[in-house]
Amino acid sequence: MTPPRAIHRAIASCHTCGLASPVSLGKCPRCHSTLHLRKSNSIQRTLAFLIAASALYIPANILPIMVVAEFGDVLASTILEGVAIFWRKGDYPIALVIFIASILIPVLKIIALFWLCAAASGKVHPSPAALGRVYWITELVGRWSMVDVFVVAVLVALVQLGALMTITPGPAALAFAGVVVFTMFAAMSFDPRLLWDRLESLEKTKTSGNPPAP
Amino acid sequence: MKRRLSILPWPRPKGGPRQTVCHFCDSLHDSSPIPEGTAARCLRCGATLYQNRPASLVRATAFSLSALVLMVVVHSFPFLTMHAGSDHTTLNPIASAAALIDQGSTLVGISVAIFTVFAPLILAGGLVYVCAPLLFGHAAPGARLVARWMHRTEPWNMIEVFLLGVLVSMMKLSKTAELEFGPGFWAFAALMICMAAAIAGIDRNELWDRLEVAKS
Ligand SMILES: [Zn+2]
Ligand SMILES: [Zn+2]
Repeated sequence: MTPPRAIHRAIASCHTCGLASPVSLGKCPRCHSTLHLRKSNSIQRTLAFLIAASALYIPANILPIMVVAEFGDVLASTILEGVAIFWRKGDYPIALVIFIASILIPVLKIIALFWLCAAASGKVHPSPAALGRVYWITELVGRWSMVDVFVVAVLVALVQLGALMTITPGPAALAFAGVVVFTMFAAMSFDPRLLWDRLESLEKTKTSGNPPAP
Repeated sequence: MKRRLSILPWPRPKGGPRQTVCHFCDSLHDSSPIPEGTAARCLRCGATLYQNRPASLVRATAFSLSALVLMVVVHSFPFLTMHAGSDHTTLNPIASAAALIDQGSTLVGISVAIFTVFAPLILAGGLVYVCAPLLFGHAAPGARLVARWMHRTEPWNMIEVFLLGVLVSMMKLSKTAELEFGPGFWAFAALMICMAAAIAGIDRNELWDRLEVAKS
């Protein structure tokens, strides 16, 4: 037997403390957070953060993430060039780690969240079991993209050797941190329960007119 | 005097049986007590509703207290030292954030400080502040506000990502300079484990049920 859904009984689950209480109370009786049946403007807010993240993804990849000055030579390198340097040196595992964390994960996360928004607003068929796994993974791996920003932070702090070699941060570092932060906000704004709402209304229109299933 | 701390069971707040809503599919369940070490799962989608962690309060307090001690070690001992010729430079999380701000990347520097220093500090400090008095059945003043801030801060704790960043940087520098780990680095690695254990130590529903009972 499948349990009833809370929205049909106007019961909201507090997003802070998890207490289930009638949404008509307005505020959670336990922790005083505002009660909502669904995250407010979930799809619009997710889309807004996604668009900001996608826009920043371009400068994050074409501008230099750090500038290395070595014996008077100045070399600015982008994220992709950093990956290429490791690859050419034969450090394949580390090249793969940076490529996956910095290039692949943000793109996949942005695509996945756009897909989730499309499914939740009825543009594509929602299949919550599969999409739920997608959502769970995007929440789990998104933070690891910050690794390249931390690499810049570490290198800038360590490599200050005067005329010998200095490393300074490039403009892509800020753009890239923005991509990660905005995709994290997008994932937090998305409400996976909307997928189940959509599925439920689809099933209702499908079965209406037919005799109820036994 | 021996207090049997670990045996304090998950209290049931007054006001009759409670219900739990699955955060993922919105299914409504009656929340019944479950044995220690088990989890309640959603009947529709299988997502975890809540977990009864063994010795939850003791674990959360102990690990977050250790995390606070380790933070002191991280910030007061050498973290990573680089030798290049006669020169050497040292690193720790605060210094790397400060270096970014120095070089004009103010926003990036502030973010690095938040993700590696302030978010972990709020989380570990908050857990100690809320959980330690609960061991004796008391709620600290403002504990609910602190608990709300803890939940909000949790996604921004990126200690483990910073550690990966340090390892990648080492690979980048390994051909240029000689690197030496200090006690701060090992403390940071231990801090990562303590933070994960402290956060996983107590279920959110249990923490709030305990806070609710402690007040009355
Ligand atoms: Zn609440
Ligand atoms: Zn569920």
